[in-house]
Amino acid sequence: MARKRKGHGASNPAVSTAVVMVLYVTDSGPNSVRAIANLEAICKEHLNGNFRLEIIDVLEYPLRALADGVVVTPSLAKLFPLPAATVVGNLSDRGGVLRALGIVE
Amino acid sequence: MEPALSLPRPTPFDTNVERGFKKAILRLVKGGPERLAIEAGEIDSIIDPANGRAILLPDAQRALIERKAGFRSLIGLAFDWYWEQDELYRFVSYRGAMDDPDGFAEEGIIGRALWDLSIDNMSETDWQTHRQQLEWRIIFRDLEIRRVNHAGEVRYFSISGEPIFDDREQFKGYRGVTREITERKEAETSVREQHRFAGAILDALGTPIAVLGQTGVVLSSNQAWRDFAATHSGVGTGVMTGCNYLAACDDARGVEQIDGMAIAAGIRQVIGGKRALFRYDYPCDSPAGRSWFALSVRGFTGNGEACAIVSCDDITDRKRGELLLGLEFTVARCLADSGTAAAALQSVIRVICETQGWDCGRYFCLDQSAGVLRFMESWGVPSAIVGQFLEKSRGMVFRPGAGLAGRVYQSGQPLWTGATPGAGVSSMALAPETGEDGGCVFPVTTGDTVIGVLAFSGSHVREPDDRMLQAVRSIGSQLGQFLRRQKATDALRRSEKRFRVLNDLASDWYWEQDSDFRFTQIAGCSAFGTADILGMTHWDLPNVVPADAGWAEHKSQLAARWSFCDFEFATVLSDGRHAYYSICGEPVYDEAGIFTGYCGTGTDITKRKRVEIALRENEARLRALVEPSPTLSAR
Repeated sequence: MARKRKGHGASNPAVSTAVVMVLYVTDSGPNSVRAIANLEAICKEHLNGNFRLEIIDVLEYPLRALADGVVVTPSLAKLFPLPAATVVGNLSDRGGVLRALGIVE
Repeated sequence: MEPALSLPRPTPFDTNVERGFKKAILRLVKGGPERLAIEAGEIDSIIDPANGRAILLPDAQRALIERKAGFRSLIGLAFDWYWEQDELYRFVSYRGAMDDPDGFAEEGIIGRALWDLSIDNMSETDWQTHRQQLEWRIIFRDLEIRRVNHAGEVRYFSISGEPIFDDREQFKGYRGVTREITERKEAETSVREQHRFAGAILDALGTPIAVLGQTGVVLSSNQAWRDFAATHSGVGTGVMTGCNYLAACDDARGVEQIDGMAIAAGIRQVIGGKRALFRYDYPCDSPAGRSWFALSVRGFTGNGEACAIVSCDDITDRKRGELLLGLEFTVARCLADSGTAAAALQSVIRVICETQGWDCGRYFCLDQSAGVLRFMESWGVPSAIVGQFLEKSRGMVFRPGAGLAGRVYQSGQPLWTGATPGAGVSSMALAPETGEDGGCVFPVTTGDTVIGVLAFSGSHVREPDDRMLQAVRSIGSQLGQFLRRQKATDALRRSEKRFRVLNDLASDWYWEQDSDFRFTQIAGCSAFGTADILGMTHWDLPNVVPADAGWAEHKSQLAARWSFCDFEFATVLSDGRHAYYSICGEPVYDEAGIFTGYCGTGTDITKRKRVEIALRENEARLRALVEPSPTLSAR
C-alpha cells in the first residue's frame, strides 16, 4: 500500500506552504488504521487541503522504511517545511502531532 | 473537530511468550519515543534493521490474521471454489463449496489439468485458445464450462485465474476461483427461449414490425420487416436490428426528406409520451412505379424504457384503388362540366394522364360510315416530342383489327405495351403508334358497342391490375355514354334550330300561355307590344274583334284542350281599319301529364284578308250589276 494524498489548495492563512508528510503503516494493523484516521482528521481541520501525504505500507515496501530510517510503524515523518520531524504511534496525541507539523508552537 | 481515535488500553505482552517477545523487540528499539509508543501499545510493527522486514506485534498480527480470514470468508461468499495449479496447469489445490458438493472432486481433480476433466462444451480449438492464454501467462476471466455430473445433471461453471510468480519472477502456476453458474445459465436459457418464442410470434405476423428503443435504435424486428426491406425502398426501409431508425429518417434526402422529418417527429412524440399512436402514409417512387406505405408507431414501455413499435404496410393496392376511384369521380365531373364533346375528351384525357403519370392521350372515334377509327381529340404534356407525336397522330386511321387501336376496337378489351413481360404486345413494333415508352389503349363503349378508343402513351405505363381494368371500363363507359348523349343532344339542337328556322319562315310570331290562357311569352310579334299584352288572353287584346260572343267556340276548344289551327281574329286599328291575324296552338303538358297552357304561332293575315274582303266586295258589286234589281224585275 503506497497511497499519495494531496490537498485541494491552501485556504488557511496560517499555513501558507504545503506540508509534505509520509506515514509509514503496517497493512491493516489496528494502530496503523487509527493513525490514518487521526491524521486525516487533523489534516482536514488544520491543513485545509494544503498538504501532501504519502502512506507507505512497510509490508509491501520493506526497503523503503529501512531507507527512510523508520524504526516502528505507524510513524509519521514531516518532510517539509523544515525542520523535519517524526511522530511515532497511532497519532492519538493530537497536540504532539500539531507541534511536529508546525501548526502550533 | 473530530476526536482523535485511540485504541482501548491494550494489554500487550500478557503471556510469558509475549513478554519474551517484548524484551526481544525492545532490544531492537533504541529511541525513547519508540519505546514509549511500544509501551503504550500504539505500535503495530518494528522494522528489522538487518533486512527491513516488519516484525508484527501481537495485536497487529492478530488483526492481519483476522483480516485474512475475513477475506477468505468473503472469497467463499463471492465464489464457490478456489484453486491453484502448478506450472503444468495441474490442480494442486481445490477447495470450497463446503469442500466440493457436486464440483469436480467426484472425478478427482487434483493432479489433472482443466482440459483433462469431463467438460463437454469446449472444442479442441477452444482448449487451444485457453492453453495459449495460459502460455502467455495472462489473466483469464469467466471461462464458462459445462459438465454432466454422475447424477446426470448438467452443471455450468465460470472459472477465472491469474498466474503466480515467485520472488525471482519464475512462473509457478495459476490460482483462481470457480463459480457455479448453472442457475444463471438456466435463467439465460429460459429468457432466450422466451425471447425466441416472442420472436417466433413476431415472425409469424405478416405485418413488418420493428421495436425501437428510446434513442430510435431497432431493438428487434420480425421476418416480415426483413423481407420488406429486401423488396421495398423508401424512408426508413432497410434499417435492421442494431441500427438507428430515427437517424435514417433524419438523414432522408430529396423527395423523401419531408416524409422522413414527419416520421421522425412522430416517433419522437410517441417515445416521448406525447402521443400514444402515430400514423403516416407516404409514397415512394421507384423504377417499378409509385408505391404507398402506411406507417404506424405505437408507444409502450419495455424494461422500464420508453419504446415504440413501428409497423409498415404496403398499401399501394389500396391507394391505387382510391386514386382510381378518385379518377372515376374526376372524369364524371369533367364530363358534367364540359359543354362539348371536344372539351370533355380533352379534360378526361388530361386528368387520366396527370393521375397516372402518362405523357399524352388520344381519342380515336369510330367513323360509322367508313367503318374506321379516326383521330378526334388529344392532350399531352408540354413537350416537343409529345407535340410531334400528337401531330403525327392527327392523320391516323385504323381499320378494325389494325394496330393497337383497331385490335382494341375489334375485341372490346384493353391492351397495353411496355416493359412488362407477358403483355403480349411488342412495344417496339408499335412504337410509331404508341410511342417508344409504352402505351395503354382501352375502349370507349355505350352498352356493348365500342364507339371509339382512348390511347395513352408514357414511360410509366405498366400492366394494369384488376382495379385498373375496372376503372378503365368504367371511364370508357362513362365517356361513351357522354359522347352518345352529346351526339344526340347535338342532333336535337340542330333539329331544333332547323325547326325554328322553318317556323320563323311559316309564321310571324311565337307565343306561349299558361293554364289560364294568359300570355307568358311572345317572340317575333310586331303587331302588339310584347310588354303590353303579357298576362292577357287573346280575347283580352285591345280592340279585338269579334267581341266576347265570337270567342265562345274558340274558348270551348281551349277548355277541351284541343289543338286549333287558323283561328282568325281582328283588331281595330287607330285609323278605324281592321288588322287580321291567324293563330295556331296546341296544349302543353308537363312531365307528369298536367296541363300547363298553350303554345302556338301567329301570322299577320291583314293583307290577305283585305284582298279577300276587297275581292268579296268587288264580286258583290259585279253581281249587283249583272243581276237585275228585284224592283227592276218587278217592273
